[in-house]
Amino acid sequence: MGDILGLVGKRLGLGLVILLIISVIIFFMVELLPGDIAEAVLGQGATKENLAAMREQMGLNQPAIWRYLQWLGGALTLDFGSSIVTQEPVMSVIGARFANTLFLAAYAAVIAVPFAIILGVIVALLRNTVFDRVANVLTLTSISSPEFFLGYILILFFSVKWGMFPAIASLSEGMSFADLLERTFLPALTLVLVVVAHMMRMTRAAIINLLASPYIEMARLKGAPPWKVIVKHALPNAWAPIINVVALNLAYLITGVVLVEVVFVYPGVGQALVDAVSKRDFPVVQACCLIFAATFILLNLAADVGAILTNPRLRHPK
Amino acid sequence: MSTFVIGYYALLLTASTAAAYFNKRQPFMMLFSLTLVSFIVGIIGGAGALRAIAFAAAALALAAMVSYAFREFLINIVGRELGKELRTAPLTAAFGMFVIFVYAIAGIFAPWIAPHGEAEVISSAFAPADANMLLGADQLGRDMFSRLVYGTRNSVGLALTATIAAFVMGAGAGLLAATKGGWFDNFMGRFADVIMSIPSLIFALLMLSIFGPSMPVIIIAVAIIYAPRVFRLTRAVAGNVVVMDYIEAAKLRGEGTGYLIRREILPNSTAPLIAEFGLEFCFVFLLVAGLSFLGLGIQPPTADWGSMVRENATLISFGEITPLIPAAAIALLTVAVNFVVDWMLHRSSGLKE
Amino acid sequence: MPKKKEVLLKIRDLKIQGYSDETWVDIIKGVDLTLHRGEVMGLIGESGAGKSTIGAAAMGYARDGTRITEDSSIEFDGMELTTATEGERRALRGARIAYVAQSAAASFNPAHKIIDQHTEAPLQYRLKKRMEAQEDAVDLYNRLRLPNPAEIGFRYPHQVSGGQLQRAMTAMAMSCRPDLIIFDEPTTALDVTTQIEVLAAIRDIVEQFNTAALYITHDLAVVAQMADTIKVLLKGSEVEEAPTAEMLSNPKEDYTKSLWAVRSFESPQRFRKEGATPLISVKEVDAAYSAGPKILNNVSFDIHEGMTVAVVGESGSGKSTCARVITGLLPPQKGEILFKGEPFPADYRQRNKDQLRQCQMIYQMADTALNPKVKISEIIGRPAQFYSGLKGAALKARVDELLDLIELDPSKYYNRYPPELSGGQKQRIGIARALAAEPSFIICDEVTSALDQLVAEGILRLLDRLQNELNLAYMFITHDLATVRSIADEVIVMQHGKVVEQGPKDDMFKPPHHPYTDLLLSSVPEMDPNWLSTLLEERGVDNLGDAAAAKIDPNDAKIVR
Repeated sequence: MGDILGLVGKRLGLGLVILLIISVIIFFMVELLPGDIAEAVLGQGATKENLAAMREQMGLNQPAIWRYLQWLGGALTLDFGSSIVTQEPVMSVIGARFANTLFLAAYAAVIAVPFAIILGVIVALLRNTVFDRVANVLTLTSISSPEFFLGYILILFFSVKWGMFPAIASLSEGMSFADLLERTFLPALTLVLVVVAHMMRMTRAAIINLLASPYIEMARLKGAPPWKVIVKHALPNAWAPIINVVALNLAYLITGVVLVEVVFVYPGVGQALVDAVSKRDFPVVQACCLIFAATFILLNLAADVGAILTNPRLRHPK
Repeated sequence: MSTFVIGYYALLLTASTAAAYFNKRQPFMMLFSLTLVSFIVGIIGGAGALRAIAFAAAALALAAMVSYAFREFLINIVGRELGKELRTAPLTAAFGMFVIFVYAIAGIFAPWIAPHGEAEVISSAFAPADANMLLGADQLGRDMFSRLVYGTRNSVGLALTATIAAFVMGAGAGLLAATKGGWFDNFMGRFADVIMSIPSLIFALLMLSIFGPSMPVIIIAVAIIYAPRVFRLTRAVAGNVVVMDYIEAAKLRGEGTGYLIRREILPNSTAPLIAEFGLEFCFVFLLVAGLSFLGLGIQPPTADWGSMVRENATLISFGEITPLIPAAAIALLTVAVNFVVDWMLHRSSGLKE
Repeated sequence: MPKKKEVLLKIRDLKIQGYSDETWVDIIKGVDLTLHRGEVMGLIGESGAGKSTIGAAAMGYARDGTRITEDSSIEFDGMELTTATEGERRALRGARIAYVAQSAAASFNPAHKIIDQHTEAPLQYRLKKRMEAQEDAVDLYNRLRLPNPAEIGFRYPHQVSGGQLQRAMTAMAMSCRPDLIIFDEPTTALDVTTQIEVLAAIRDIVEQFNTAALYITHDLAVVAQMADTIKVLLKGSEVEEAPTAEMLSNPKEDYTKSLWAVRSFESPQRFRKEGATPLISVKEVDAAYSAGPKILNNVSFDIHEGMTVAVVGESGSGKSTCARVITGLLPPQKGEILFKGEPFPADYRQRNKDQLRQCQMIYQMADTALNPKVKISEIIGRPAQFYSGLKGAALKARVDELLDLIELDPSKYYNRYPPELSGGQKQRIGIARALAAEPSFIICDEVTSALDQLVAEGILRLLDRLQNELNLAYMFITHDLATVRSIADEVIVMQHGKVVEQGPKDDMFKPPHHPYTDLLLSSVPEMDPNWLSTLLEERGVDNLGDAAAAKIDPNDAKIVR
């Protein structure tokens, strides 16, 4: 067991280091600006006094390292400073929105993950049949379509033509959960379409890879029925690749969500991020980037740890 | 029941019986299941739905015929060796090649094909299609079709440049890392890990917010984001080659790094690298389209598919498909490239088994 | 053999096709086979003969990408397998026909304990209760002389050594007491000393339960120990079939005779010139792969001009690491390499062109040793161009000369690519590339072990001829003692990174031996069908393979036995 703990610990440490480096990149990239933040925000028409006041207010007179440490310290307590545009604390701008985004991503994931894995396994079993080829063409088409294309197609049919679901996923206080699910159905479905295709293809590849192992042939030659070959012999070894596929696609979900939020005018963090980018509201952009990157790293970490924990060679060392 | 519906079923049934009679199992199964599906869809959706099915089937058949003919055309114009390879291409791949070919023509000859200029205002906003404007006008009264054609040049051109930039950096570093090994290899691997830990769209947004959305910034940003991915793959592909004994033999002969990469490693990595180029192009293209859609890509008045979708998005609520056309153009090219790549990957993996 | 009573397996006109290049090609071209109850038939042939495909077909199984044609007939105990349903065929597998694969390490599922995989078939067919099945497994492990039979089954496959796993897999095949077992090269991946244990165990158990078996192998000497009858195959067709003794003493077909006749070649023994400086001197070398355990431990030996030194040992003995140290790929932790008495830089990157030229290498796998995308003319021409600066017509003349040397027609091969060549031809190109550098010393790393016997013989003859013509020194790394016998002048025996014995060949094959040399020599199967029985009587069942090797220390004194 010591081996496993060591490996997991090492992996966690590596994740932490990467996150730290990323925070450095995110913070110091803004320093690369020609001039400084104050000039960028106030524009060319700004007077010297205004610039000086702005610099004073943002603490730009202090050395960058010091400001970075302050920023990082704040980030640890979820305090990312204040927005340049509205002067509100960043967390009050994006805090609630982040919860909304997580909800949408989770909604899509709950539908997509089981669906995709089951379909992926089925397609792997039916490989090289007509069904497999059709699935191949369909999934390729789906992953090739931009999220906004799928989103608008769904809007065109489900809301404009057939009037089944609302085109705009607005949220209001005190909505019932069923209402919430209905309102957010189309954005969730858009995400599901993209992610399911990705996930199905990867699951299929992982399973087919496994089915070529000599021990699978051995199981067949021992007379094990096909379902048993899959359930007892392939699946216990397939966890690592499947966990990987899921994590990778959940990570994909959290970026895909930005575009989908814009299409459906959903009050998530993606909208806020795009807004902040066009207004050059750096504290908000930096906060969003760090949060997204941290989520991304966390998912990858979970996948790697999962892969380590399900590896029989590591679980039962010599 | 209209004559259309009667004719529709009559045709399908005749075709399936004929297929059954001549013992063609697959065509029969396809035709007859289509018939059964049509029964159900027809009952629910009426003649309209049947018409949609017939239209879709006809479109599919047309695409299949074009692909078939285009493949024959290609086989005839290329050399014998390549022709033999092409013969193994499925219709989907041939379709992909055809689409890429059409896009290339549209992009290269845009000014001659487009009836109007890309920024030329020629009618009122959202004017419907007429003889002069094939697809109607956009939100400023510019010809949609002309902008679509110019968009090929701008959108695809930008994505292609960015992909090439990413590829040169990533593949170069990957080959070098695989050949040199040691600390350089380790360092580059870690570095790629870090960059790849930031979601691509988010990283692009960060860079665009700092440096402002302009063509060079977009190209550099995208190249920085995708170079590590190309690096990873190239490193893996080249890594499988450098363990070969012939590389060891060349090293022991005293050959330099340049010779090793050029003469020994590269010729054995081209097939997967070309496929990877196609794949990366798809990712880059979708990312750039996404940025444009968010209003952070190519700036107006330059015609660009992503921004065309955004600018005309309001039309959707009136049931118009105009904003879907540029979006479909993006999807079609990506699908086409993916079809070709899929075939190439299948071939290279098929040879291994 | 008096066992021949009832026919168990009857294969008639078996044709199997494989899918390649968009068409179906015949792999097996109409083979007949009759196997009686309790009979062991050896299927023997070179690579590509289709032995393994026939073995799978005997279970009514066609691997992915192959198919059994409709006019073939496979009748097992009165049941026609080609027309049976998949369910009927499956009910036979594991229960009445069992399979033992080549690589046990890959064929055991890493996720389950060995005993759980063992009991899977009996439980599925409801032949035994779980506890009974486990007891039976332990009993079988005992019969197969596995160490700790009561406990070994409760380990995971990766916790058990290769030779033990192979026996555990044989036990698993026995779990339902099948009528027929297919052994598909069960000992090919094992070292010679380990192979003996497994062979002895397999033979015992097959005899004890009077099970019929198809024993598939490319090794004549092995099949001679195991089989009652031998069937020789060539490229998907049968050459001939006869009882073992008759087949060995009196083969009818030319192809079979040629198989039997190999290893007739023996180069005359050369001796060191008195007082000459050795060409290559390995001096007290220790080596390890970065921070890993020591692979070489105080290794010293000399190689003299124009002589062949064979380095013998089993996997993990450090013989290939020796080669890496000499070529400079792995600088040693301690000690040095001398070339004609002068120290050679430890790292190949520090060596100059002339030093690099002197020492060339020929590899085991010709497939990976030649760049598939480079023309033969450039593969051979590059060293000539690189070291001697030849260009244009001079370069072409040199390449032609080299192709002539390795007995390939220059006009035919000049413009071809490696994948278009056969295994033996590729190996010849590898030799030509080494010669093109005009070296004085060539390391041959298992150059013949991936080749079929006849082809290997040709390569050995070629190497010997070149040595005489060009005064080359060879360091010949091999695990095959027959190869040593035919080409070596001096022999070095290695075990666990240490040299246990070295000297002229003639002395090495005569007692007294170091105990490890003795174990190696006695473990090499011979054509005599009684060899295994005699050996078991002489050494005793418990003094074989890993068990025997474990008792030996590299510093033991020589023994006479």
